[in-house]
Amino acid sequence: MTMTDVNVDELLAPMPDKVKKNRRKHIVKKDLSAGSCQQIEANTRTVPGIITQRGCCYAGCKGVVVGPIKDMLTITHGPIGCAYYSWGTRRNKARVDDRTPPEEIYTTMCFSTDMQESDIVFGGEKKLAKMIDEVVEIFHPRAINLCATCPIGLIGDDLGAVAKAAEKRHGIPVIHYNCEGYKGVSQSAGHHIANNQIMERIIGTGTEKVDGKYVLNILGEYNIGGDAWENERLLEEIGYTIGSTLTGDSAYVNIRNMHKAHLNLVQCHRSINYIAEMMETKYGTPWLKVNFIGIDATIDTLREIARCFGDEELIARTELVIERELAAVTPEIERYQKILKGRTAFVFVGGSRSHHYQFLLRNLGMEVMVAGYEFAHRDDYEGREVIPTIKSDADSKNIPELHLEPEPGIYRPPHLHLKMSKEKYDELVASGVLNDYKGMYPDMVNGGIMIDDANHFETEELVEIFKPDLIFTGIKDKYVTHKMGLPSKQMHSYDYSGPYTCFKGAVTFAKDVAHSLSTPAWKMITAPWEQSKTEQR
Amino acid sequence: MTGCKVTSRVRQVNENQCHMCMPLGGVIALRGVEHSVALVHGSQGCSTYMRLANVEHFNEPIDIASSSLNEKQAIFGGEANLRIALDNVIRVYRPKVIGILTSCLAETMGDDVERFVETYRTDREIGEIEIISVSTPSYGGTHTEGFWATTRAVIAHYARPAERHGGINVIVPNISPADIREIKRLLDLMGLEYTLLPDYSLTLDRPFGGRYQKIAPGGTPTAAIARMSGARATIQFGLTCPDTLSPGLFLEERFGVPLINLPLPIGLDGTDLFVGTLKDLSGQPVPDSLMLERGWLCDAMADTHKINAAARPVIYGEPELVYALAKLCLENGSVPAVIAGGTRNSGLAALLQPLLKDALEEPIVLEEADFVTIEDAAVRTSANLAVGHSGGKYLTERQGIPGLRVGYPIHDRVGGQRILSVGYAGTLALLDRFTNTLLEAKYSSYRRQRKEELLNEKGVSDAKA
Ligand code: SF4
Ligand code: SF4
Repeated sequence: MTMTDVNVDELLAPMPDKVKKNRRKHIVKKDLSAGSCQQIEANTRTVPGIITQRGCCYAGCKGVVVGPIKDMLTITHGPIGCAYYSWGTRRNKARVDDRTPPEEIYTTMCFSTDMQESDIVFGGEKKLAKMIDEVVEIFHPRAINLCATCPIGLIGDDLGAVAKAAEKRHGIPVIHYNCEGYKGVSQSAGHHIANNQIMERIIGTGTEKVDGKYVLNILGEYNIGGDAWENERLLEEIGYTIGSTLTGDSAYVNIRNMHKAHLNLVQCHRSINYIAEMMETKYGTPWLKVNFIGIDATIDTLREIARCFGDEELIARTELVIERELAAVTPEIERYQKILKGRTAFVFVGGSRSHHYQFLLRNLGMEVMVAGYEFAHRDDYEGREVIPTIKSDADSKNIPELHLEPEPGIYRPPHLHLKMSKEKYDELVASGVLNDYKGMYPDMVNGGIMIDDANHFETEELVEIFKPDLIFTGIKDKYVTHKMGLPSKQMHSYDYSGPYTCFKGAVTFAKDVAHSLSTPAWKMITAPWEQSKTEQR
Repeated sequence: MTGCKVTSRVRQVNENQCHMCMPLGGVIALRGVEHSVALVHGSQGCSTYMRLANVEHFNEPIDIASSSLNEKQAIFGGEANLRIALDNVIRVYRPKVIGILTSCLAETMGDDVERFVETYRTDREIGEIEIISVSTPSYGGTHTEGFWATTRAVIAHYARPAERHGGINVIVPNISPADIREIKRLLDLMGLEYTLLPDYSLTLDRPFGGRYQKIAPGGTPTAAIARMSGARATIQFGLTCPDTLSPGLFLEERFGVPLINLPLPIGLDGTDLFVGTLKDLSGQPVPDSLMLERGWLCDAMADTHKINAAARPVIYGEPELVYALAKLCLENGSVPAVIAGGTRNSGLAALLQPLLKDALEEPIVLEEADFVTIEDAAVRTSANLAVGHSGGKYLTERQGIPGLRVGYPIHDRVGGQRILSVGYAGTLALLDRFTNTLLEAKYSSYRRQRKEELLNEKGVSDAKA
């Protein structure tokens, strides 16, 4: 079967009619002859009982966004499980730096109010307040996060009030997140809630001077396996200063000065685009969608950043660094291409990687036939131009939108951030580089399938149809894939490997994938005395 | 109190906890029932997190359905969602049994799941499919209690007065699939007819091969569970199981099946107790092959006692395993420095009393402990070996105490599902790992230590200065 023949309706045939109707809208086949992207349904409720890969709002807020801030002590207010499960599961690395000594790093620890029956009945505010007092006494953290879990909203604990009172008592910021797990339809709601509070309570509160001619923030980079460090290494070599990342290996003390940066880079659009937009409104900071995954993608990204500042010296240094890095990795990449060329893959990850990794795989000679996000919105598939047409539903309405205004005295128009004339800036915007994201669709192969919130059932059917060589997914799917006789690579934690970003990361990734595909085990699965039988069949 | 110091939790902070939540244990127990699917009634985060935790330990596909409650249902009740979830699970998975476990959210909302299920049954044609609901609010217990509560609920669901038969029941706590297989082998060797529940020895450790099935083959057949009420006796490895949750006690009180509560068959004495019981029940002599295994274990204990006597282990995890491990250590001359359980109400401290009364040193016993408390106690007592699940990795990372992984969850090593520690052979495998971990630690620091000693004795360092 060629890719363009695939019939999506057949795939869903065994499902109950209602489910079929629902799921059909979440699947779009790329069809070049159709012109623009057909609308995909995304960020809507998961059908109960269909085993989804999605997590909860709390997971998006605590697990993804605020958890990695290394010098903030994060308390999970709720029963024990929620905290336990989000403890160290994401491999966001953090290290000591000149502003954050080892005793100020809390990312490897897990704090829970471990609510008991009586707390549920009589309320848990007192317990939470006491816990804050205890951690302050023991750790003296610079700032504290309080994250809510499902039962909290129901029993009506007022996290905001507890936080406020604790701030008064201890004189440090105590920031609360009403990220009860049932809010929204996935982790995505939690990203938004976290974005709002970081924007309101942290960014802009710093008064230190940030030195550097070109200061960049990297938003939506969580430093899985050290990814952020590799980005930083390159960018600093070219001559940029990194203000802060959000939130891999980030620190409260740096995040509060983020408004001093000249340009925001956005790696994971889904989880952090709110802050990028809000900073644009409030401080005039322009943002650029980047991608450090893939060699060509990294080159394009580096060139675009340099173009944003239009500084000839910067552009020249960028080319120099590109040339040097490329020379270093090309022979190795070519070696792995021999193994990987022509292989096909599926990619199912969160809300951005399924797009990013297509670039890297293409560099290695591989093609992605099916790609899907767990918790993305339509704009992550179709591009930001659809945002005005997305109808808000009951689930998105209950996540507050902040309506910000330019901050008097601090706001500067974006062209001044980039040290260029208004005309030149407008040209840059018109060329489509800045403040935009075109989504995954344009980069899909013709006939390939985009699938939103894919479940086990659909994955298996798709494997039958496309027979890919490898599946990139999370650990929950990893062993299903293996049981089907297919290698899988874990893209949330990288199977304890990484970094995968930029040039060197591409080599590490290529090596890992090549290992997966060339392991003799896959061929030895059938016992020798049964081999002839299979051949005869 | 003689023999040990017991400390219960006094702090508000639960920092780096030692236990997980109640439905998680329920999910594992349900995997031991043939052709079943677990459905967590709550928002989907819980079931996703529980899948993650289990997948990392068992390295197997783990499907857990969710009723995916959102804000609206959180306020108005989750019945409609639960019904849709049941419809879809039945349609896609075609299970024989669906176990509904409640999350904290559903419990806090006060959803009456029993009633929902009853209504569902009456107006849906679901034929033979059984639906078992278990109340598992995590603020009421840990995954250990969830495991017991679910096992008990499964039995209670099926048990009817049955004709007496010659078979026995064997009820296991949360142990590895490999351990279950070993216990079954011992039962087979002793020629007993038995029903072991929950038997997830295959469902959570599937061999490769054949077409992938959504519901793993294996598990205790429901027809066998229904006959448990007519068994001759129940052996339950559940000394620490609270009476209210005890599946064996339920069978005894309701159906008069005598309960023999044993410690896990880990260690020589633990295994002797089990094998001795089987011998009495079967009236058969212990086969030579098993006596050989016993002999090999004794031999190893004799050969390694000097090394093991130097161990001051910190043992932590689920109470049933912790108790058995403490016994194992003591019979090998390793006096525990710290013995810690993450749950309360297990009676662990009281159980340990008689074991510890003659111990040379006084171990610290902690109940409802988090890892900060455990770490603190381990440092104070100069513990030199950490025995337990992956949660204790910080004891190694921060304090340099070498670790021996056993129990649940294991997510920083492979093969959690294959860790074998029961029976004579299993104990021997564990004991060798125990001894070798001590030896590795010794050899890795031996040279440095020797050098320092030499430098000081011969005054080399002084001479240089
Ligand atoms: S809400 Fe309860 S059941 Fe769900 S993860 Fe948290 S502790 Fe476990
Ligand atoms: S209870 Fe809620 S917050 Fe906790 S894991 Fe479950 S869905 Fe998430």
